[in-house]
Amino acid sequence: MDRSLKRRLEARLSSQLRGPVRQRHDQTEIRIGPGDVPDVLRTLHDAVDLRFEILADLAGVDTGQEMQVVYHLWSETASDWLRVIVEGISRDDPRCPSATFLWIGAEWPEREAYDMFGIVFEGNRDLRRIFMPPDYTSFPLRKDFLLPDDAARSPGAGVRHVERPHAPAVVAGDPAAGIRRAPAS
Amino acid sequence: MPTRQRATQPDGATQPDGATQPAHAARTSQAARASQAATAKAQRQRPPEQYRSDDDPRIMLDREVGADLFEPIPPYPVRTEREAEFYTRGDGEMFLNVGPHHPATHGVLRLVLKLSGEQVVDVDPVLGYLHRGVEKICENSDYYHVIDQVDPLEYVSSLFQEWAAVLAFEQLMDVEVPPRAEYIRVLTSELLRVSSHTLFMGFLALDLGGLAPILYSFIERDEIVEMLAALTGARMLFNYFRIGGVNGDLNHEFLSRLGDWMSRAAKQTEANTGLLNENEIFVRRARGVGILDREMALRFGVTGGNLRASGVPFDVRRAHPYSVYPQLDFNVPTRLEGDSLARYLIRMDEVRESIRIIDQCLHNMPDGPVMAKLPRLLRPRPGRAWGAVEGPRGMLGVYAISDGSDQPFRFRIHDPSFLNLAVVPYLLPGNLLADTMAIVSSLDPVLGGIDK
Repeated sequence: MDRSLKRRLEARLSSQLRGPVRQRHDQTEIRIGPGDVPDVLRTLHDAVDLRFEILADLAGVDTGQEMQVVYHLWSETASDWLRVIVEGISRDDPRCPSATFLWIGAEWPEREAYDMFGIVFEGNRDLRRIFMPPDYTSFPLRKDFLLPDDAARSPGAGVRHVERPHAPAVVAGDPAAGIRRAPAS
Repeated sequence: MPTRQRATQPDGATQPDGATQPAHAARTSQAARASQAATAKAQRQRPPEQYRSDDDPRIMLDREVGADLFEPIPPYPVRTEREAEFYTRGDGEMFLNVGPHHPATHGVLRLVLKLSGEQVVDVDPVLGYLHRGVEKICENSDYYHVIDQVDPLEYVSSLFQEWAAVLAFEQLMDVEVPPRAEYIRVLTSELLRVSSHTLFMGFLALDLGGLAPILYSFIERDEIVEMLAALTGARMLFNYFRIGGVNGDLNHEFLSRLGDWMSRAAKQTEANTGLLNENEIFVRRARGVGILDREMALRFGVTGGNLRASGVPFDVRRAHPYSVYPQLDFNVPTRLEGDSLARYLIRMDEVRESIRIIDQCLHNMPDGPVMAKLPRLLRPRPGRAWGAVEGPRGMLGVYAISDGSDQPFRFRIHDPSFLNLAVVPYLLPGNLLADTMAIVSSLDPVLGGIDK
């Protein structure tokens, strides 16, 4: 855990942080709102005592209640990975500013997050599906997208059905019908 | 029981107007038969609308109309600014489809190239032909099963995916890994890094037209893979790392094969690299081609040998040490040129460093258990973890979220090839068509990892 990184982050980003800076193992975690993404990323990238130059990862997350976009950054000034969680993105109309103004390489991960979660990255000039075919209409990694069969979780497959945040869909007939089911909540 | 109607009745054939005629009268005229044959031929050539894929631009489909052969506009409306720009053809430009099934695309990568003569003007890589939805599968299988689900992602060096996954899970569960298990992990992974880099050398030469190096690459790879098969039981999809250790201690056959290989590894590496380093055709085709400068490499998020060939000494083993790498002595080779040749030479230097690491592992390996004590059903506390390792192609990360159940709530794999390939639209324009494969190949993409 890099205590000094925590102090520097609190000093630089005090107005934009939502909640405390959390640290566990070799990771430091901050949470921000979608409106602050360009400012925060710019500060993290450019500030002389931060200089997070390498975008290690950009991931979408569906918590079931909201969408999140998660950045992992690396800097030679810190011994921790920095995790920036953009929280509070609506599930019905998920929108988040793009990071391509800073890292062009964010273009493809953002396309992937759009493909898998439907998160629209404003400012990405090539936001189309990347893995799924262009006429595909669902977003497969959303939590209301259930696998068409329950085989992966059946006792026969050796996986115990202990706790699931959602019940498997009961699909009669067309196995593809279940995957476009409306959200249960 | 319903009987199936035959398409053509031997007698009493049904005409389209519904009138039934005796068999001998059912002969159609010569003209009618010719017209039917022409219709059938047209239908064969042009599949019905519902069977046509929207994915392919018309260059793949409309073969009956010569003028449409190079029609650049995809059959669906353009979706983005970039796509509109790409599919607008300038004066004298044409499109060329490379892949998805092309021997030089290292899997099923499709590149739509916009050419002006022999020169590449723009590139649109099309991915997803190998997409298996591994992340979704992992979110629906428990923590133990994730390890064998991530194996087939990057099938050339599958231990690294396992390592990233168990690294993230061990953080979620606060597991201490025994030191011997850490050394075994380093040892086996570095072996696989040597195998992967050697294979890279062979395929790079193959894409430039040299056949011999790939044969030597496969000799090397086969020895390593057989060695690991003696240890893990599998040649490619090892399923060897476990949360809290590895599956089984080193055995006699592995060690004897390893000793045999180590006795000539350094010499063999020099011999293999000599095949290309002193080959004038190879050097002249690779030098100064596909130059990626430091700034762009960082902005694109390129990692691994591709980044170090551009002058950034970023290696996760040193930049953010994990496992026992802090205790090992090795260098991070860096070059400044950033061209295809530098990317090749960096990897060959890394092979030498890996052999040094393997040697140190064998000498420093402590005794002790290879597995930590863990419950049969893993249910980590809710939390988030990120584990990153340095794979042969760059930083390979896994982001796992636990919600307290026995399955990861979110399982995200960051594959280095994905971002390494994303520089292709930047690197290729301005180069000749013949150099596209030399450049793509020097980035060392593996489509299994990219398409997840």
